[in-house]
Amino acid sequence: MSIHTIGVIIKDWLIGLLAGWGVPVELSRLLIEVLTWAVGAALCIIAIMLAALVFIYLERKVSGYIQSRLGPTRCGPVGILQSFVDVIKLLLKEDIVPAEADRVLHTIGPILFLAVSALAYVVVPWDEGGTVAGKVDAGVGVLFMAAVGSMGLIGIVVGGWGSNNKWSLLGAIRGAAQMVSYEIPMLLALMCVVLQAETLSLAGIVEDQKGSIIAWNFLRPWMWLPVVLFLISGVAEINRTPFDIPEAESELVSGFHTEYTGMKFALFFLAEYGNLLLVALIFSVLFLGGWLSPFGYPDPLRLPGIIWLLAKSLLIVLIVMWVRWTLPRLRVDQLMGLAWKLMIPAGFVALGVMCAVIMLGWA
Amino acid sequence: MPDQEGILAQLKQRFGPDGIVRQLTADGILTVWVPPEQVRAVLSSLRDDVSPPFRMLYDLTAVDERQRQVRPDQPPGDFTVVYRLLSLEGNADCRVKVALTGETPAIGTVTDLWPNAAWYECELWDMFGIRVEGHPHLRRLLMPPWWEGHPLRKEHPARATEMAPFRLPEERMALLQETLEFRPEDWGWPPPGPDQDDLYLNLGPHHPGTHGVLRVICRVCGETIRDAICDIGFHHRGAEKMGERQSWHTYIPYTDRVDYLGGAMNNLPYVLAVEHLAGIEVPERAQVIRILLAELFRIISHLVFMGTFAQDVGMMSPVFYMFTDRERALDIVENITGARMHPSWFRIGGVAQDLPKGWEQLLGDFIELLERRLNEYEQAVLRNRIFRARTVGVGALDVGTAIAWGATGPMLRSTGLAWDLRRQRPYGGYDQFEFDIPIGKQGDCYDRAVVHMEEMRQSLRILRQCLQNMPAGPYKSDHPLATPPRRAQTLRDIETLIHHFLSVSWGPVIPPGEAEGRVEGTKGLYSYYLVSDGGTMSYRTRIRAASFPHVQMLPMLCRGLMVADLIAILASLDFVLADVDR
Amino acid sequence: MALEYGPVAVLLTFGVALGVAAMVTAWLLRPSDPYAAKQAVYECGMEPIGPAWSQFYARYYLIALVFVVFDVEAIFLFPWAAVFKQLSAATAMGAVPLVEVAVFIVILLIGLAYAWRKGDLEWTR
Repeated sequence: MSIHTIGVIIKDWLIGLLAGWGVPVELSRLLIEVLTWAVGAALCIIAIMLAALVFIYLERKVSGYIQSRLGPTRCGPVGILQSFVDVIKLLLKEDIVPAEADRVLHTIGPILFLAVSALAYVVVPWDEGGTVAGKVDAGVGVLFMAAVGSMGLIGIVVGGWGSNNKWSLLGAIRGAAQMVSYEIPMLLALMCVVLQAETLSLAGIVEDQKGSIIAWNFLRPWMWLPVVLFLISGVAEINRTPFDIPEAESELVSGFHTEYTGMKFALFFLAEYGNLLLVALIFSVLFLGGWLSPFGYPDPLRLPGIIWLLAKSLLIVLIVMWVRWTLPRLRVDQLMGLAWKLMIPAGFVALGVMCAVIMLGWA
Repeated sequence: MPDQEGILAQLKQRFGPDGIVRQLTADGILTVWVPPEQVRAVLSSLRDDVSPPFRMLYDLTAVDERQRQVRPDQPPGDFTVVYRLLSLEGNADCRVKVALTGETPAIGTVTDLWPNAAWYECELWDMFGIRVEGHPHLRRLLMPPWWEGHPLRKEHPARATEMAPFRLPEERMALLQETLEFRPEDWGWPPPGPDQDDLYLNLGPHHPGTHGVLRVICRVCGETIRDAICDIGFHHRGAEKMGERQSWHTYIPYTDRVDYLGGAMNNLPYVLAVEHLAGIEVPERAQVIRILLAELFRIISHLVFMGTFAQDVGMMSPVFYMFTDRERALDIVENITGARMHPSWFRIGGVAQDLPKGWEQLLGDFIELLERRLNEYEQAVLRNRIFRARTVGVGALDVGTAIAWGATGPMLRSTGLAWDLRRQRPYGGYDQFEFDIPIGKQGDCYDRAVVHMEEMRQSLRILRQCLQNMPAGPYKSDHPLATPPRRAQTLRDIETLIHHFLSVSWGPVIPPGEAEGRVEGTKGLYSYYLVSDGGTMSYRTRIRAASFPHVQMLPMLCRGLMVADLIAILASLDFVLADVDR
Repeated sequence: MALEYGPVAVLLTFGVALGVAAMVTAWLLRPSDPYAAKQAVYECGMEPIGPAWSQFYARYYLIALVFVVFDVEAIFLFPWAAVFKQLSAATAMGAVPLVEVAVFIVILLIGLAYAWRKGDLEWTR
């Protein structure tokens, strides 16, 4: 039984209930609709918060093992409560705002970053029919995701500029330039998938890969270049090593969040891990068959699709973490050069290959 | 050995026998006195005309002579400025001395001959109050701008108890803070403002990329560094002044803390200098134990270098592995000396104690382990393509520039010149060891890393030779000035017991004279120039540290590059702030 | 139609609410003890030299311009991408949809090549 079916059953039951109370069917339908959105939105927010809690712990453990340390061990068994303790610590921390900063921008920055990073979650197909804004997704899913995904940089720029600190300013400017530049190869990689699936809907892209693992996009040779492009630009979009130059602690102290403490800092962090999950989810959707089971459709194991989606995303997250703790960071000009001189031409090559494959009728 | 007489004859021929007066020193370095009006001419002809030419200004310092008792055959004067020159191609040394008189004497600058004189001359002003005429930016270098007096003058107190109690009320703090503010006008930079394209950045003293309290003021356009100015002295602890109030023996622990990553390596130049003065021959076993510890500390320091270098270009993991291996090396140090980072283990005339039982096993295991691990590090760090992209061609330095700026050690060798003091002028028993001198090609950040990596391998080779050929015999000389005398002897004869009593209560009395002890340290050439007035304490202790000229090069190296390159260059310089500021 | 974007609006509200709620909770719990030194702008422990709010480097502007060109191009291409298989499968059209878009992309690529050649893709001059 998928999430969708459960949703339909609950909806029908509620409409029946409201009708029993004498509420007009039209109004009750609208109410139910709004309620569904709210539940969906709440679930997305919870997903982001859980992602942050789990990933922060995971990152500390993974980095610990990569660096031949143990990572957190004190809070709860194997340190599993570490993230919660961190939250409490951050809640109790004094909020220090530089006297010369623009207080409004300084406060808006993290909220904006967080709110925007949450937005793209509405088009993620969690399960068969399990997209929060199914209609938006059906129409312009990919475009919406791409548009919203790059809005995060506004939060970074607002926060960085509002701090009135030169490190923050440099970090914000680096961040903006980087996120803007890697947007294009990402779009080109997306376009290849769209060409393949003939739809702008993320749910549709998953549908297109229906079948066992051999039907998934990443096993199609003409998708290998887009896979690489998307993974690299995805890591760049979320500012992680080797593309962590907006925060580059050994260069810019802490980059755009140098002047942030306590909860405001925590919001930046939260959103960053939210973005990490998002990129992993989208990658799974585009290339790894989203919520599909690797053993075929319908799933012979009868597991809910969301489990498969999260498992695939976790795999991607672990790879991204592995990369982060292994590689050095690029310099800003090398980073821009990589985007404009290698990735964008490569994106067009991938596009050309994709077109050729379609014209030849192989796709 | 270089032909000292030949150089002296050349000088005398040019400047007449009266213009050049030779002084004999305990270290055998050619030392000449020249009159103040001729110093520039002598220095410039030493640099360009004399054969071999002295292309490097190795050190520049002064001595306050006003309380000195024993200085036979030396021209009278209140202050002596000492130029210490080095000829790499001729493998020769020269010391040029100038006597100055008066309360605030003055001397001409040599910054146009050697660019690295700039900081040394600031130090002359800062520490001795000797004005340097024609210097482009004569300022307080190590002391804060508001400091009163010149610390290395004899009248300046060395202890807090000799001064009034220290108080820092709010108003005074605000006032002092103001003097620390950077004024762009002083450096010919336009004043900052919103209409100004260039941004002035304070990089440090509290910055994660500066490895300590170093302040670099950058003038950046976008992220390109147009110019930079180093502000040092935040880590100044008066190590040279301390030398004038500690006995010869009790000063040893201070030396450990100069290049604090080099531990026992720092003891070596100091004890070598004292042994020169006292005329002590060190027994073979002591020599090899010293080399063993010195090379172990070279590895310890280089591991920190590699780890932090990788971290500064954004690689977060190697530093943990390298520190783990460094801990293993420190375990061996602890087993031998009882201490880890600062063992203070060398003594005047030998080392503190013999090696403990079982040291062979510990060292052998470590050598075997590290040889394997170094290959892994090479794979993980040096062969990483992003690491190479970040470091190859960044901050490149050619041999001529390196020599002109006083670069030594790995910094010099990375430019392609195979000059290693252990090979050129074997000291303390290094002539008995086989090792290669690794060099780089273009002197960029990458080459510096490669040279450091290769030097660790060579150090392992030396350690293996120590392990296989440790000579038997005493670990300390039986010379009466060896401090403290060996325990077994003190318990047997009254003569040694008296020496022990005197040397420990007052400290050994070292015969008057001057000597320099030099080593190829972890980061370059280190030397201690000691002046003894025949007392239990040094009259003047000069520490020539390798990091000082290296950090001075930073603005030159990073001009036109980006902020991220500045961090990579800083990391590749392999400096320690305690070493820069002393 | 506008109703389709209802979930987006709800999620945006929730996201902002989460941020605000977190800050308000923290504000209720946290201590507050500001003084001048604590509120100073961080510039590595020294008084900042000049303001951070100043002009910044025009090169950045060029990258932004090139980006806008390519971003708009991508928006144009997506609808085409969604139907390209269908169009090229229809025998009547043949290679026309491909050629048309190719012309469009090539013009853009010439622009990119021009910017590249002029050195506008270099982050430093």
